[in-house]
Amino acid sequence: MRNTYMVRVLTRALQPVRSLCSAPSAADVELKNVTKANFEPALAELRRHVREADFVAIDLEMTGITSAPWREIFEFDRPDIQYLKVKDSAHKFAVVQFGVCPFRWDQHSTSFVAHPHNFYVFPRQEIAGDGSSYEFLCQTSSLEFLAKYQFDFNTCINEGISYLSRSQEEEALKCLDSIHKDEILDVSSNLRNVSDTQLVRMADILFAERMKNAVGEWRAGLLQGGSWGPESQGSLNDVNQKFQTTFFQTRPALAVNGLTSRQLKLIKLVTEKHFSDLAYVHVAGESSSRLPLIVYTDSAKDRDVLKGEVKACQRKAAEISIKSAIGFRHVIDLLSSERKLIVGHNCFLDLAHVYSKFIGPLPSTAEEFVSAVQTYFPSIVDTKVLLNSDDVLSHIMNKSSTSLSNAFNLLCLPPVAPTGTNNGSADIPRVKVDVQVDDQRFSNWNSGAKHEAGYDAFMTGCVFSEACFRLGIDFNPLAPGSILQHNEKLEKYINYLYLSWANGDIIDLKTGKCGPDTLGSAIGRRRWLAKFTFSNMILLWRLPTKLKAKDIRECFYKAFGSGSITSVHQMDETAAFVQFSRAELVSDFLELKDRLDRDNNNPMSVVHPLSRILETGCVRAATYETYKEVCLSPLSELLFADQAERLGMKGEARLVQSSVDVDGEDSHEGEGEITMPTFRELQQSSASVTTRNFQTDRIMDSLCRSAAQ
Amino acid sequence: MYFRRYLCSQTAAAHRRRYLRPVKQVVKSNFSETLAEIKESIVSSDFVAVSLQKTGSYSAPWQKCLPIDTDETAYWKAKRAAERFQILQFSVCPFSVKASKLIANPYNFQLFPRHEVKAGMPSYGFLCQSSCLASMAQEGFDFNACIYNGISYMSRAQESAATVQTRSVLLNGGGLLSTSALSVADVIFSERIKTRVKNWMNGCNNQHKTGDYLISSLRKLVERSENYGSRPSLTIDVCSERQVQLTSEALKEFVNIVLVRPLAKAGVEAVQVVLTSSEEDKNLLVKEIQGLEEEHRRLVSGFREVIDLISTSQRPVVVHNSLNDFAFIHEKFLAPLPPTTNEFSSSLLSVFPHILDVNHLMKELGLFDEMNNLSSAISYLDSRFSASIDMEVSYEEKTDCVDVHGHSVMKVCQLFVKLCSILKISLEIPEGGHTQLPALLQCSSNMLCSSDVRDPCNDDVRIWTSKSRTVSLRNLVFLWGFRRGMSAQDLKDVLCNSHDVFSEEFDVKMVDRTCAIVVFWTPGVSKSFLGIMDSGECFSNKLENMILEGLKAADYETYRRVCKSDLWKPNLAECLAQATDETVVFSGAKMQQEKSVICRNNDEMINLDEL
Repeated sequence: MRNTYMVRVLTRALQPVRSLCSAPSAADVELKNVTKANFEPALAELRRHVREADFVAIDLEMTGITSAPWREIFEFDRPDIQYLKVKDSAHKFAVVQFGVCPFRWDQHSTSFVAHPHNFYVFPRQEIAGDGSSYEFLCQTSSLEFLAKYQFDFNTCINEGISYLSRSQEEEALKCLDSIHKDEILDVSSNLRNVSDTQLVRMADILFAERMKNAVGEWRAGLLQGGSWGPESQGSLNDVNQKFQTTFFQTRPALAVNGLTSRQLKLIKLVTEKHFSDLAYVHVAGESSSRLPLIVYTDSAKDRDVLKGEVKACQRKAAEISIKSAIGFRHVIDLLSSERKLIVGHNCFLDLAHVYSKFIGPLPSTAEEFVSAVQTYFPSIVDTKVLLNSDDVLSHIMNKSSTSLSNAFNLLCLPPVAPTGTNNGSADIPRVKVDVQVDDQRFSNWNSGAKHEAGYDAFMTGCVFSEACFRLGIDFNPLAPGSILQHNEKLEKYINYLYLSWANGDIIDLKTGKCGPDTLGSAIGRRRWLAKFTFSNMILLWRLPTKLKAKDIRECFYKAFGSGSITSVHQMDETAAFVQFSRAELVSDFLELKDRLDRDNNNPMSVVHPLSRILETGCVRAATYETYKEVCLSPLSELLFADQAERLGMKGEARLVQSSVDVDGEDSHEGEGEITMPTFRELQQSSASVTTRNFQTDRIMDSLCRSAAQ
Repeated sequence: MYFRRYLCSQTAAAHRRRYLRPVKQVVKSNFSETLAEIKESIVSSDFVAVSLQKTGSYSAPWQKCLPIDTDETAYWKAKRAAERFQILQFSVCPFSVKASKLIANPYNFQLFPRHEVKAGMPSYGFLCQSSCLASMAQEGFDFNACIYNGISYMSRAQESAATVQTRSVLLNGGGLLSTSALSVADVIFSERIKTRVKNWMNGCNNQHKTGDYLISSLRKLVERSENYGSRPSLTIDVCSERQVQLTSEALKEFVNIVLVRPLAKAGVEAVQVVLTSSEEDKNLLVKEIQGLEEEHRRLVSGFREVIDLISTSQRPVVVHNSLNDFAFIHEKFLAPLPPTTNEFSSSLLSVFPHILDVNHLMKELGLFDEMNNLSSAISYLDSRFSASIDMEVSYEEKTDCVDVHGHSVMKVCQLFVKLCSILKISLEIPEGGHTQLPALLQCSSNMLCSSDVRDPCNDDVRIWTSKSRTVSLRNLVFLWGFRRGMSAQDLKDVLCNSHDVFSEEFDVKMVDRTCAIVVFWTPGVSKSFLGIMDSGECFSNKLENMILEGLKAADYETYRRVCKSDLWKPNLAECLAQATDETVVFSGAKMQQEKSVICRNNDEMINLDEL
C-alpha cells in the first residue's frame, strides 16, 4: 500500500521531467476548459498550436437539433428540404460548447500531439443592438441529454464566451457610423432645440439658476487668475460638493459627479445657453462609465474642435467595445485564416452553426452555403464519410455503427481483453496520439467525458489520424510545410459531407452538387435507402389522429388498386406522404378527393374506401412543393398540420403545375371521361368492401349516421 | 405616535433580516413530501402569492405590453410570450394577516419541463433570452440544479390527452367487448383461461393441506404462480387488447380475484390475476392499487398538483403582473391559451376565482409610474407612507445552506399587504370566511383583462382623471419610415410645419426606434391625415418629401392585425409595412369585416399619460 503511494508520488514528481521526453504517463489531467476568464491567453496559445497543426478537429454542442418533430430529417426529404431543415436548426439553436483540437505530427516521437480545447460559448449580448434581444431555442430533450453527461450550464451561462458574427459586427459599425453622422447633423440644429426647451417646474428653474451662477463663478475664477487656487474655488465648493476642477486635453474643466440625469440635462442646457466658451461633453471615465465635464475653451471654434475630438473619442471607444465583443469569433477567424484541414464527424450541421453564428445569416440554398463555406474553410474532411465510403475502413468497421464513440473504441483503443478470437487486431500498430494540456504531455490521456465538445473533437481527430494510417498515408514526410490534405489517398474524401445521415445524401462542397453516396465503397454504401420520385408524392395533412401508415396504404390500395402506391411515410400524427407508382394517379387522387370533399354526405362518398382517410372532411392534400414552402417558414409549430394551417396552406384541388401536355389531354377529353372511371371505381370498391365482414359494420354505421343527418 | 415609531423600528430590523429570510427550496427529490406540507399551509392561510421566473419576457421593445395596447393586443403579446418562453422557477407563498402581522410560508419550486412520462411533453422546446438568463445567473440562479433536478409537470390538457395512452392499472370486468360473435379461437382461449385459473385457485386453496414444500414450489413454477404483494397471483400472457377483454370477460364468474395490468411495460403483454381471500380483502386490494395509480398520476402531473391545490383552495391569488403571469400559468399548467381575451379570462376565472394584482392596486393609489421593479416599489412606499408591517416566516431552514432564490414572492406579499394597509383595506379574514373577500378588494380583484382597469370604479377616479388624458383609438396613427435616430421631439418639429393637418394639437411618441405614434387631439384629423398618406396628394412640399423618403402611416387596426398575426419582427415598422402590404391583397369582403371590428373598438380608450 505504502509502496504504491510512494510510486505515485514519484511519478507525480517526475512528470514534468518526463513530459519533456514525452514518456508515457497515465494522466488524469482535465482537458483545457476555456471560459471568458482565460480566453485571451488561451487564444494566444491556440494561435500557436493551430499554426503548427497538420489538421484541426472540431465539435459543437448545441441546445437542440430540431424545433419540431416534423423538422427532423426524413428519408423522403429532398436535398433542398434537408438543407432548409439544417438551416432552421442552425438559426434557432445556440452553441454552448465548442471543441477545438489541433493535431501536430511530431517526427521525433513519431506520434501526433493533440491540444484539446473546450470552449464554453454563450450568446451574451455585449453591445446594444437595435433593441431586439438575443434569443435562442432550447430543445428539452437536448438539455436533458447534456445534463445526462454532466454539462455545466452554470459555467456556460456565467462564464461562457460571447461572440459577434462578421455580419453583426458590420451592422454594429454601420449603425455607429449613422449615429455619428446624425450627431454631426445635430450640431447645427442644436441651438434651435435649446431655445425650444423650456423650464417648466419651479425646482428646475431654481436649479438652473443656481448652476448658472456656480458655473459662471468658476469661469470668472479661471479668467481672473489664470491659476486657480483653492481660494478661488472655495465658494464653488460651498455651493456644491459635486464639482471638481480637472483638466481635459490641456483645457481646464469641471467634472460633475453624482447628479441625476435630469439635473445633468439642465446643466447642459444652461452651459450651452449662457456660456459660448464652455462646452458640455461626456468623456469616457476611468471606470468606463461616461463622465460629464464642463470644459473651458478659448473660442467658439475651439469649442467645436473640442466637441469633435470628444465625438471621435467616443466613436473610438464604441469601436473598441465592438471589437472586443467579437470574442469567440477570433477562434473561427483563426481557423479560417490558417486554412488548415478541418476535421469533423458528421459535421454539416456543425458547419451550418459555425456559419450562422460567426459569419452571417445562412444563404437560402445549399449550393450558396457550401460555396461560401469553401471560401472560409477550403478543406474539410468528415470522418463519418471517410469511415463509410472507404472500402478498407468500412471493412474494419464491419457494419457496426459509425457513431463517434464507437469508431473511436474500434479504431483507436487497444482491445480490452485480447482473447484468442481477435489476436490479429491486438498487435495492429496504431497511430500514437499524445495529448498536451498546458505544456504537459501525456501519451495515454483518456480523461475526457463523452459528449464534451473538446473531448469529442479529440476523439474525432484520433479517429481521423487512425483512418489515415489505415489508408496507408505515411505521416513521416509531414515535415513542416507539407500538407496532409494534398495527399492523393485522402484527397478524394476531402470536401464531401453528409447532408444528412438519415438519407445518406452526400454534398460536394466544391460544386454544391448533392446526391447519394457515390464515393466508392460498396460495403459502406447503404442499399436499403429508398428512392423517391418526388413528383409522384402527395402530402396529406390534418389526417384523423388514429390513422396509421398501414391503414392509409390499405385505403389507397382499395381505391386505386394494389400497386397504385409505392410507399406511405408518416411525418407525424397529423401528416403523411403518399408516393404513387404513376404520375397521373396524383392528379386522379386530387380530383377524387376534391369531389368526395364537396359532397361528403352522398352515400357513395361515405362508402368510398378513401372515406376512412377523408372522413373528417378537413384533410388537405398538396404536392411536394407545398412541403418545401412549409419548411421555409420560420415558424415551428409542434404538429405539421398546425404549422400548415397557420401558414394558411389550403392544399390543392387539382394539379396546377403538372406538365402542360398532360393537362391539355385531360381538358380535351372533358369532364365525363374523368368521372366515369372513378364512378366505376366507387362501385367496384364498395362491392369489394361488402365481402369483408368487419368492414361492413363500419360502413353500415356510417351509412346510418349519414341517414340520421 | 410612540406606537408608530415602534413599528418603524421593527421594519428596519426586518429590512436587515430580509435577505436571510428562509424560503423552502423544492426540487424533484423533496417534492412529494413538500406537497402535503404546502397543502396544509395553503388551507390554513387566507391568500396565496405567486411569482414566476421565466426564460424571457419580450423579444423587442414594441413587443412589451405598452400603454398604447388595448386589452386585446396586450393579451396577444402576453400570449406570445407565454407560448414561447418557459418557467424555470415558481415561488408560492401562502400567507395571512393576523393582528397586523404578515404570516408567510414561502416555497420556491425549481421547474424543468423534463419528459418524465411521454416524449415531447410538457414541452418540446422553449425559447431563451440570453440577457434574461445572464441576469438570472448574476443573481445566483443555479441552472444545473434546475435542469438536473427541476420538477416536471403536465398541463391539464396534456394530461387528459395522455391518459388515453396510459391505461389504468386495474381491469374492471369486461363489458367492452364488441357485439360481434366470438370466433372459435376466442371461445377456446376463454375456456383455457378459465380452467387454468380454476386449477390455480384450487391449488392455492389446498396449498396449506399438502404441506410439501417441493410440490408447492414445483406447482408454482408450472402454473407461473407468483405473489402480488402478499397475495398469490397468476400471470396470463396475452397478445392483443381483445384477449385482455376476453380474459376479463371469462373470469367474471370468479368473485375473489382482481385483474391487474403490470404498469411499467409498454404494449399488451400480460395480465395478472390476483387472488384475494374475501370480499373485504378484495376491496382492500382495489384501494391499494388505486393508491398506486394516484401516485403515478402525481408523477405525471408533477408541479401542477400545486396549481391544483391553489385552485381547489379557492384562495385569492396575489401576483405582481397578473396578465403575464397568468398567461404563463394558463399555458403551462391548464391548457393552450385561447385566441381571445374573453375566453382567456373566463377560462382562467373558472380555475382561479379571485386574482389580485399588486400593480393594479398601485394604480389605484395613483402611482402611475412604471413601477415594474418590486424592490423600488417597496422602497418608494416606505419613503412615502408610514405604513409598516411585521413579517413572520413560519418555515425554518433546517440545513445550513442559505438560499437566495424565490424572495420575489415575499416582496409581492409585502407590497400587497403594504398597499392594502395604505388603502385601508383590511386583510384580516375571520375564520371560515374564505368565500367572501373584503368588499374593497372584491372590487379590485380579477382586473387582469377586463377593460375597466382603465376606468376604476371607486373614489380614485379623480386623481386618475387629473393625471391622465385618454384618447380614442381612432385618433392614433402609426408612423414609420423616417430618418433613423430621430427622437419624438424631432419628429414633432418636422411634422409641425409640414401640413395643415398638423395645425391642430397633436403629440408624438416613439414606440420603438423605427416607429412612432401620433396622437391627434381633434377627432377626424387622423382620418384625413391617413387619407393624405394613402393618396400621396398632400399639397405640401415638406410632407411630400418625407413621403418620398419613405414615410408611411397606418391606423390602429393595422397594429392590431400585426399583434394578432404570427410573424413578429424585431422592428415594428417592418411588421406594419408587411401588414399594410397584405391589406392591399385582401378582398373587399375582408375589409368590410375589419371595418366592423374597428367600430367595436371605438369606445376603448387609452390612458395617454402612460404614453
